[in-house]
Amino acid sequence: MNSGKDHIIKSYDDELTRLTGEIVRMGELAVTQLEAAIDVLERRDERAAQHVVGNDEAIDQLEHEISQDVIRLLALRAPMAGDLRNVYAALRIAADIERIGDYAANVAKRSIPLSMVAPVTPVTGLSHLAGLAASEVRDVLVAYRDGDHERAYQVWKNDVVLDEAYTGYFRQLLTYMMEDPRNITPCTHLLFMAKNIERIGDHATNIAENVWYQVTGEPLDKQRNKRDLTSSPEMTKLGE
Amino acid sequence: MTDSALPTNSPSVEAPVAATKLAVRDLHFYYNGFHALKGINMEVPEKQVTAIIGPSGCGKSTLLRIFNRIYSIYPKLEAKGEIILDGENILDSRYSMNRLRSKVGMVFQKPVPFPMTIFENVAYGIRHHEKLSKSEMDDRVEQALRSAALWDEVKDKLKQNALGLSGGQQQRLCIARAVALKPEVLLLDEPTSALDPIATGRIEQLVEELKSQFTIVIVTHNMQQAARVSDLTAFMYLGELIEFDQTEKIFTKPGKKQTEDYITGRFG
Repeated sequence: MNSGKDHIIKSYDDELTRLTGEIVRMGELAVTQLEAAIDVLERRDERAAQHVVGNDEAIDQLEHEISQDVIRLLALRAPMAGDLRNVYAALRIAADIERIGDYAANVAKRSIPLSMVAPVTPVTGLSHLAGLAASEVRDVLVAYRDGDHERAYQVWKNDVVLDEAYTGYFRQLLTYMMEDPRNITPCTHLLFMAKNIERIGDHATNIAENVWYQVTGEPLDKQRNKRDLTSSPEMTKLGE
Repeated sequence: MTDSALPTNSPSVEAPVAATKLAVRDLHFYYNGFHALKGINMEVPEKQVTAIIGPSGCGKSTLLRIFNRIYSIYPKLEAKGEIILDGENILDSRYSMNRLRSKVGMVFQKPVPFPMTIFENVAYGIRHHEKLSKSEMDDRVEQALRSAALWDEVKDKLKQNALGLSGGQQQRLCIARAVALKPEVLLLDEPTSALDPIATGRIEQLVEELKSQFTIVIVTHNMQQAARVSDLTAFMYLGELIEFDQTEKIFTKPGKKQTEDYITGRFG
């Protein structure tokens, strides 16, 4: 990422270290929120779900603080080269983590109406998706913390696994809805929640792209193998 | 960080779009036995601003001064290699100094107006090169002062002593004096080091305007200034040219670790 040397002015290093730490902390909070959202869904705990929704504010607040720190760094330090990419990437990554937090809170929010209807089987499938997404986010945060662009690339590449799992889950939900109209309401909620989780994976790949750029100064190739086929024409034929 | 594609031994970098105005070929410079410049190769493009940055003692001012051979007035100084300006080697002893200095003008860090009127400061140099009528001279002086963004401030006091101007105005007068001779290349050696931020801004704005007419080479120890005003930036260290590239690239993704360390404040 940089030469490994310290800046001559020590406080500059302190500020950059602090920025990295804030991003990592924000990311950890977002992953915790996602896991908590799945937990409250499985336990059908409305009160706990409300709590998860309320916790999202802490992530939003961190994003605001990070933005302020970035502005301050840009104005006062006039960062160059690797430092500039570092600060720029932090701003972008914070925005992605904030969205991850929002999606996790959305999952928790939707678990509330779900807890008011009879349980449906596909709920357990959502945990699998969430586990994949949480793993992606954790991995990419380690990549960011360590300046490991190769690790970031692996996260970026492997997002197809989550995309494919989401596509499979989508099919499963359609099947349940077609089987019994009473499943439509809960499965629709699950569909939205699954989509939110799939979007978390996309944001993890955004973070990966920013880590790659931060370290190498080059954009990551965007010819990603898209495996979320739910919007493809073949999906519409399932209902016929 | 990926290494630059440039070779590590004083590479010659072609300017990607503009024609070359000054081509430096394997330049070595010595003073008092000290090897101050070591095998410099660079191509300064026409009508663009090239900045030279580097830590104290890196040779940036030395290099600048060779472009108009100002070293010739000092003894025991020696330059080897070539500097090609419009197809001719200016280091050749047969290249007339007067001709060189009319083609390559210089402005120094400390403004040094002549102890004369504002008008005479500009006219003095012209008179040594050209014979002009009074009205022609008036026009030339006005043109030069306008080029230096100074005309409006001094047009009503051209007969006043130049030493009465502010530091920023004096520096712009020195620039007017240099451009009055219609050079092709302007060398600026830390032109704003002695000036306040507003005067500095005015000089930088002037540099942007002047580059449409002149090839400009500026030495500065202020990296932000290099980033603001220049199209290309050369980084020097211990008499060597370490890296030379588009300014945007140097300040966002330099090819050499030394360059990155210097511009990010890790040098030392």
